[in-house]
Amino acid sequence: MKTKVVPTIKLYDYLIVPIQIELDDATVERLQMQLLNEISEKKIRGIIIDVSMVDIIDSYISFVLSETAAMAKAMGCYTVICKIQPQVALTLAQMGIKLKDAFTANSLERAIEILNQLD
Amino acid sequence: MMNYQNFKDIDINVHDYDIVLKIKDENDISVARQMAKSFAQKHNFSLADVTKIATAVSELSRNIYRYAKEGYIYIKKKETEPDKDISIEIIAYDRGPGIENVERAVAGGYTTSERSLGLGLAGVRRLMDSFYIMSEVGKGTIVVAEKRRRKF
Repeated sequence: MKTKVVPTIKLYDYLIVPIQIELDDATVERLQMQLLNEISEKKIRGIIIDVSMVDIIDSYISFVLSETAAMAKAMGCYTVICKIQPQVALTLAQMGIKLKDAFTANSLERAIEILNQLD
Repeated sequence: MMNYQNFKDIDINVHDYDIVLKIKDENDISVARQMAKSFAQKHNFSLADVTKIATAVSELSRNIYRYAKEGYIYIKKKETEPDKDISIEIIAYDRGPGIENVERAVAGGYTTSERSLGLGLAGVRRLMDSFYIMSEVGKGTIVVAEKRRRKF
């Protein structure tokens, strides 16, 4: 039996993923697998990853998040990373890290708007 | 700021440091960054700088775990003069394989690891106020980085 790393909420064809745990390397890798499985099983067309509770996003975590978005895209699903904290955004930008293959939004409403426009 | 001429000259006195942490498995990466975060918070660094310090420690610990398998993170508060503002010094030290081309590793965008952006060391240099690295192939790597506390 697979245990979920993060409890998710399915809304229409979308999957809302509120991350409220510390993202260490193993956790973010398990989250990637979980999301890919959910996209396939529940026929998800858009995932919204809410990172408003995540205090630290370093190069590896952003790599795995981007990679997940790229994998999701290959499965016909778009990814929106939602509500990055200002200090996390500052740190990522200063390090020169770009979140490739994912859209970004500053609210859940905006994230849903983005996904609606893509359909 | 420390400057070593030779790898064998490195002599870190653990008693000088507030935090000494051995990095030997993947979990230690998040332990290290949490400790760095609380330490910077305790010393009233701004939220932005707390995040930068914790992220830098995360990158350095991951490098140790990934490339050297084992090593240490040392963190201390530095006071240059009384009433002057303080800084936090971070040392990442390992006796791993070393880095063949240090300049290339620090410039960023280059990695020997499959699942990486190659931005770790370059990122640490950008996030911190000062950055020093010495690496010898077959001997190991040491990174010394410092962040001053800013008035906010």
